[in-house]
Amino acid sequence: MNRPSLLLASLLSAYASCHAAEEQSHAVMGQRHRALFQETCVSCHGPEKQKGKFRVDNLPFEIKDLETAEKWQKVLNQMNSGDMPPEDEKQPAKEAKADFLDDLANVMVAARRTLGDQNGVITMRRLNRREYKNTLRELLGVDVNVSDLPADGGGGFDTVGANLFMSANQFEQYQLIGREAMEEAFAWQAAAGVEKRLHYEAETTTPIVKKFVDYQIDAQKRAQNWVKAVEEAAAKPENKDIVAKIRKESKNDSIFRREWARIPGAPNPRSFGFDKKGENDADLANDSLGAGWLKYHQYYMAQPAVDKGAYLGTQTRHPAELNVNYIELLVPFDWPVGEYVVRVSVGATKDAPPERRFLDFGIYARTGRVMATHEITGTIEKPQVIEIPLTLTRSNMTRENRLLFVREKGSWDTNEEGGRKRAEAVKRNGIGPELTLWVDWIEVERVPNAAKPKPPGIAALGIPLDDKSPAPATPELRAALERFATEAFRGTTPPADYIDRLLSLYEVRRKAGDKPSAALKETLAVVLSSPMFLYLAEPTADEKHRPLTGMELATRLSYFLWSAPPDAALRDLGKRGELMKPEVLAAQTERLLNDPRSEDFLQAFTHQWLGLDRIDFFEVNRTLYPRFDTGTKVAAKGEIHETMAHIMRKNASLRDLLKSDYVVINRVLAHYYGIPGVKGDGYEKVPLPKGSPRGGLLGMAGINFMGGNGERTSPVERGAWVLRKLLHDPPPPAPANVPAITRLAGKVLTTHERLLAHQEDPQCTSCHRKIDPVGFGLENFDAAGQWRTEDSYMAIDANGKPDPKSKKTWTIEAAAALYKGPAFKDYFELRDIVASKSDAFARGFSEALIEFALGRPTGFRDEPLVTGMVQQAGKKDLAIREFIQALVASQEFHTK
Amino acid sequence: MSTSPIRRRHFLQSSTALIALPALESLGFRRFASAAAPAAPPKRLVFLGFGWGITTESWFPDIKQPGAGYTLPEGLKPLARHKADFTVVQGLWNKYSNDGHWGSTMWLTGANRFGEPGQNFHNSISADQVAAAKLGLDTRFASLQLNGSENAESSGHGPGLSMAWDVSGKPIGGHKGPVEAYHRLFSKDTTPIEQQRAMLAQKRSVLDTVMENARAMQRGLGKTDKGKLEEYFQGIRDIETRLSKDEQWIGVPQPKAPIPEPAAGLAGKEEIKIMYDIMLAAMQTDSTRVLTYRQPVSTLLTSIGIKVAPHDMSHYHSTMGEKLEASKQRDLTQSDLLAGFIDKLKATKEADGSRLFDHVALAYGSNIRTEHSLDNCPTLLTGGGAGIKLGHNVVAPKDTPLCNAWLTLLHGIGVNVERHGDSSGVLKELIA
Repeated sequence: MNRPSLLLASLLSAYASCHAAEEQSHAVMGQRHRALFQETCVSCHGPEKQKGKFRVDNLPFEIKDLETAEKWQKVLNQMNSGDMPPEDEKQPAKEAKADFLDDLANVMVAARRTLGDQNGVITMRRLNRREYKNTLRELLGVDVNVSDLPADGGGGFDTVGANLFMSANQFEQYQLIGREAMEEAFAWQAAAGVEKRLHYEAETTTPIVKKFVDYQIDAQKRAQNWVKAVEEAAAKPENKDIVAKIRKESKNDSIFRREWARIPGAPNPRSFGFDKKGENDADLANDSLGAGWLKYHQYYMAQPAVDKGAYLGTQTRHPAELNVNYIELLVPFDWPVGEYVVRVSVGATKDAPPERRFLDFGIYARTGRVMATHEITGTIEKPQVIEIPLTLTRSNMTRENRLLFVREKGSWDTNEEGGRKRAEAVKRNGIGPELTLWVDWIEVERVPNAAKPKPPGIAALGIPLDDKSPAPATPELRAALERFATEAFRGTTPPADYIDRLLSLYEVRRKAGDKPSAALKETLAVVLSSPMFLYLAEPTADEKHRPLTGMELATRLSYFLWSAPPDAALRDLGKRGELMKPEVLAAQTERLLNDPRSEDFLQAFTHQWLGLDRIDFFEVNRTLYPRFDTGTKVAAKGEIHETMAHIMRKNASLRDLLKSDYVVINRVLAHYYGIPGVKGDGYEKVPLPKGSPRGGLLGMAGINFMGGNGERTSPVERGAWVLRKLLHDPPPPAPANVPAITRLAGKVLTTHERLLAHQEDPQCTSCHRKIDPVGFGLENFDAAGQWRTEDSYMAIDANGKPDPKSKKTWTIEAAAALYKGPAFKDYFELRDIVASKSDAFARGFSEALIEFALGRPTGFRDEPLVTGMVQQAGKKDLAIREFIQALVASQEFHTK
Repeated sequence: MSTSPIRRRHFLQSSTALIALPALESLGFRRFASAAAPAAPPKRLVFLGFGWGITTESWFPDIKQPGAGYTLPEGLKPLARHKADFTVVQGLWNKYSNDGHWGSTMWLTGANRFGEPGQNFHNSISADQVAAAKLGLDTRFASLQLNGSENAESSGHGPGLSMAWDVSGKPIGGHKGPVEAYHRLFSKDTTPIEQQRAMLAQKRSVLDTVMENARAMQRGLGKTDKGKLEEYFQGIRDIETRLSKDEQWIGVPQPKAPIPEPAAGLAGKEEIKIMYDIMLAAMQTDSTRVLTYRQPVSTLLTSIGIKVAPHDMSHYHSTMGEKLEASKQRDLTQSDLLAGFIDKLKATKEADGSRLFDHVALAYGSNIRTEHSLDNCPTLLTGGGAGIKLGHNVVAPKDTPLCNAWLTLLHGIGVNVERHGDSSGVLKELIA
């Protein structure tokens, strides 16, 4: 094991090399700007004149305190807003002004970072929402909904203690959720041994469709007869006047017939069997005349194997009347909480085109919460069985939360979208969307959890949880409460006073009439809103840095890599001090990373690091991008996470995120991208065909989707993202009060032409000269991440509608040059340039990891650590786990 | 072991919380609980914030027409019938604001985000809370914070749990959407009084238990960590204060809701409308005298059939057309809703026969003007509560602190603090 010495060596060299880095990083405005400053500002804000009581000639070029920072901020704001220098004064040269603003904006970022630096102090923090949820899961074995807690954050990662607040409202939420968690945990224990199984044969649908077809044919005939009779009555000469009057009032024949009662001799629709239960019976007759979707229903009945299963088609009638769109299955209300498995035996028809072979599974079809999408490779003759795990909790009590459904992917995500697809098919074949998926049967089974070990919190209690046994005696109960609290507090035993109070709470509840189990739940819920549970404390009385204890290290490590408390094994190593040994720590780090619990760390970290919340900011315009349906969007997000998971699993290089010859995709995306080779049902690594633009973050649909608004691409958004996340050269935050460019509005221009306007004003140029070119290089990806070679724009007419006459189409020119950097002729060259800057990428990744792991923002003082991590990983081709190992071995990770 | 009353009193004294007994003789109470003779109605303060700002070109009156004789701009047209009863103030800003997507975080505080060395986020008390410390003593709720039922980010409000920030600059939670707000105000507690007392006692012993735990944990913590744990203590103290208030109000019948329970799932325009009704009801029943409402913008757009994304809309300058149209529609809808609210404030009578409108000071605006512009924050003031000049287009000197306007309102309703945020004095242009 040579890691520690390696690390030490790299740290030493890092200290040497970082000295220079630190020098550059100070918040210092370059001397080259002195001239502009003198010429442009000092005449009015100098020793002689101090207009606006503002003097800048004595403003230090190095920002060391808040006062100086505020003054420079004012300079920046005034110049950005175009207020300074005043219009009638001498203006600096455009280029010089742009450079000045560019540097000043970045210096301000550096200054804020330095002045806001916590000096390496890690503020004690409470569990964030994720960790709180995971901690409850580890302690009690249950998943509770924590979305009522306010979202964490406010800049930076959700692990940064200084940003994690507590308030009265929040405390009350903890009480509620704690109580719910106890209810849930008790319910799981009570149901531990329950076995349930339900089998549903899908051909149940067939007689219903058959009956409906018969009804439609019959009703149509009756309706025709009624119409004939009404028309005959209307044709009678003596009814001429009244008929003319009604005709005048009625828009069409159906509305005319609604007035049958006013026409002497016209028969009552009820005598033809139309009874609309109190409403106008003629409506039912009119509707039956059209026999809506009869052809589609007949087409359904004409399919093979309807006697053995059901097809998943489009929505035709109101689902309460007839539903051939999805199959629903209610999990019986008396089935308890627990782990379930849903099996669907399903096949695709012979002629089903590849994009129509996907099955969505979810709960409550009307709002369409899709939980899983599977490609169907089975056939009607040889159906396949898909297994979907499902957890039902106390939040699944209502019908809307336990009504399962399967449906063809994207067939009816929304009424608008479903209707559009249906209309297209009718136009094509005169009937409706072809039936492609056939379900044989569905099964729901509850998996008993009696054999599994009890969750640690429940095991620690060790007293009966139901009211069948006698209530525990006080000493027994006291010991149980202490064991539970110690487990909940991650191994710290609270003082006796606290346990006494818990005990008295229990007794108060009992006296108030609570049964033992109810009083116990209430009491334990209080433990879950106590600070020793909610906060991760590392006491330091004297405010000095000190090494962590073994237990603290165990907790820090597991909250870093699991976002959850240490398990018994890790706690034990911590307690015995073994964890302090570098080789033990390294081995535990590996173990934690190999454990499924590390998924939450990786997901949350990736999500925040790459800013993936933007994916959910807007909906795609489905008229423009019909293929980017809900299932595809879910998969596009999944690709990003699964690629990270793959890299972590294989300890592959971070470089793979910049460029790779493979992708990690599922069948949904394989189809979307047109890449063959996915064999299984989940995400897997497949090699890329030659010349594919995919491979690496830049080629992912999800990333490109974020760089637009679901309708048009935004080269600015994309360029800024690349600078921020990949090139470790973040542009300063969008400045306030920059005057908007308005003169191009309404003009029909290419995206390129429109963005050229950024080069006119130095205020814009200062940032956009770096941002925009990168965005141009990605223009071959449309707003839904598909490759394109053309784009177009239409002007908006006076009514706010796009005017097709104004449409301008152009071939995408992805060639550009990075600011003060190399030129590229297309996307592929841009990607190569980005990929060549993997060290910058690695630095950004390291800083993010540090902030996430230590729960404090990184400062310039962390440069040696960052350099050390990059160097250590660099020796192994930037293997991802090396970064984590280097961080975990660092002094910072071991210090409070 | 049970809680000794002495310790509790000690604890309450040691906290900074002020416990006020509800003045049962106070006028506010009497108006719904008894038929005693009415006296002067209390003052109320209301803030309505709308995140992404407005359409600069069509919302502000012409600055060349200061005073009462100005032409009503397009974006305010729906307010025409109230023209004599509101004032638009131009030229105000929060000079420390630099975050172009934060329409509400510092709107009422004027704080400098970077004001505290070693922290990258800092805020200070909001104007409503300054008022609540005084106006909130006699009512069931010291203040009421309301939020749109959507996520605040998409509406351009920025960080925060509502528009209110407490005395230490920490965020205060708010009620999400009309149903939650309605229940907080009017849900009847039908539990027998004795049982209510027992429940309060139980709640207190829960608090005592967690406090015990917090104290045990506090030993050994360093200064920064103690500061962090102080938030927990403060949270518990706030609940204690609330419980004490609850205790004093036990047996005092909850006001009858003047409006029916709102339907669930309202969004956008309908949601705002109902929320205004709830605010009105809260004032009518004197449940609180200080209200803030962080209005939804994103769902407002959806509810009026606009598909442009809200942030995109505020950047209408790049393409005009559809985005500008969306922005203008938003202005009209918001103005229309406000006009409706003012109608109701005018129509509602106080016990002495005067209009509720005459006792309310209402500010309507955002820290964001348009796009990322944070100067000339849109500010519309109405209501007779603060005694300010109404019916005017007030053009203050460019870059006047927005907090001067808040200070003017605070003084107007009788909260005579020396300064607020970065205020440099009251806005003399507003003094009638």
